[in-house]
Amino acid sequence: MKETEINWTDLPQKNRMERTVWQAGIFAAYFAQFVKMRLAYRMDFFVDTLAVSFSMVIQLAVLSTLFSKVKALDGWSFEQVLFIYAFSLLPLGLFNLVSVNLYRFSDQYIIQGKFDRVLLRPVGTLAQVIFESFNVSGLNEILLGIVMMTYAGMKLGLDFGVQEILMLAVLAPSASLVYMGVFLAITSVSFWHEDRMGLAPPVYNIIRFSRYPITIYSLPIRIFLTFVLPFAWVAFFPATWFLGSEEFGRLALLTPLVGLVVFGGSVLIWQRGVRNYASTGS
Amino acid sequence: MIESTGSQVSPSVLEPWRRTAAASVGLYFHFIRLAFLKFLAYRLRYYTGVVSYTIFVSGHYYLYTALFASRIADSGDATIGGLSLDEMITYVAISWIGRSFYFNNIARDLMRMITEGEIAMQLIKPFHVQTVMMFEAVGESAFRLIMFTLPIMVVIVPLFHIGRPPESILYLWTFISFCLALVIYSQINFLLGCLAFNMKNIQGVLRAKMVSMDFLTGVVVPFTFFPEWFQRAVEWLPFQGISYIPVTIYLGKRPGEELYAALLLQVAWAVGLFIAGRLVWRISVRHVVVQGG
Repeated sequence: MKETEINWTDLPQKNRMERTVWQAGIFAAYFAQFVKMRLAYRMDFFVDTLAVSFSMVIQLAVLSTLFSKVKALDGWSFEQVLFIYAFSLLPLGLFNLVSVNLYRFSDQYIIQGKFDRVLLRPVGTLAQVIFESFNVSGLNEILLGIVMMTYAGMKLGLDFGVQEILMLAVLAPSASLVYMGVFLAITSVSFWHEDRMGLAPPVYNIIRFSRYPITIYSLPIRIFLTFVLPFAWVAFFPATWFLGSEEFGRLALLTPLVGLVVFGGSVLIWQRGVRNYASTGS
Repeated sequence: MIESTGSQVSPSVLEPWRRTAAASVGLYFHFIRLAFLKFLAYRLRYYTGVVSYTIFVSGHYYLYTALFASRIADSGDATIGGLSLDEMITYVAISWIGRSFYFNNIARDLMRMITEGEIAMQLIKPFHVQTVMMFEAVGESAFRLIMFTLPIMVVIVPLFHIGRPPESILYLWTFISFCLALVIYSQINFLLGCLAFNMKNIQGVLRAKMVSMDFLTGVVVPFTFFPEWFQRAVEWLPFQGISYIPVTIYLGKRPGEELYAALLLQVAWAVGLFIAGRLVWRISVRHVVVQGG
């Protein structure tokens, strides 16, 4: 957002640095507020942890049952597929943690008119929407992902040194930028077209199939998952770097770039949408 | 909802204990119609659903194609759990086609009714909430059949070359079996929704249900893939009547007497769960507390 669009005169004059610190303080306050709200329902978090773990157990049961019928799936062993799946939980957890308002955006912000309030405040619109609510079950996914990755990594005899941990710290957030970008683009559509659900559910459903080795799919689907809806960069490509795959591991190094391009493009769409926004008046 | 149809309803209908069976049928048929019309208003929402279901079937199609290819390469065996690859693809497709028909969200609707206090309004009306909800589910499924299941079939059947059942009569039996599945599914949902009487928040329970239902009903993986003890265990549960039984009927895996035995088992579960729902409801409403509203 350009500075000229906002009238800063009512606020104490600040340089860029000071303003960033000031904004970070605001979002910290948003988060603190959210935590206080959540602590009123401590049981929910506990129940949610159980539900997420339960879902993992079932998915593991399915995976191990399928693998009990074969030695390897299209050349990928059970532990390798498990590792890819476990890795995918990290970006997914990070994304779920902050994306909850993107799902509700069309309904709550556009149709119910909450976006008017967002526009009145002198802080970036996207950051406000994202930081207003968190989905704590994302933390469960991250935790379980790390546990499963460690297990699969040990079974595969991968050694996790400083280099691997640094790569993980770069690849997992960049992969979640891909998720953020894709869903932000879909959310931004609601600035032009009001629809409570829209495209998000089918796209969300593709996530679960982007965790399997991409080699099991036909060429058009591989191209689709690599270039059109780039979910191959979220789990498969980055995870194969840790598995030491020559063919796909190198592509993993492009993940941060893909994340930035997808997310950056979506932010541009979002900003156009904000300019196009007309209140429902409710 | 009664009010809106007031002109057509005779006074005796409004007194449940004096209502004739025919009047009850008329009343509950009304709820089928109303649910059908309600969902018709939101039909646009189902277009993306067709895409979602096609994605589910496509994903499993590639997964099982790779699995069977690896199986043949490993051991030369072209079947897994008694199914060939073609049968497996048909299994997946029919499972999801059926799911698009029997699915509903009664548990969530009932939870909302209880937590938001709307239940008080339902309790003063002259009908059984459980029966009304079941018939609303029938209305929803009638809508789904026409606006959702049929479009999905039009896309999926030619796309994956889904095979016919061995005998044409099995089309009919499969459909009847899925109708029984609808009753079982709605009654399980109703029982889960009743938990909201005692628990403040059943979101976690509903999430666990969402995850486990497709697994326990056999939508995700056929039971014959699992170890013996698991197969024995699911035989004692109602969930197999929701998807596994109708799909195996379609595939012709239940010859002769077994077909009727399977359908009777579904009927037994449908009736049993309905009675259980009635009992749980009766106990639960005794201590219902509505805060304001």
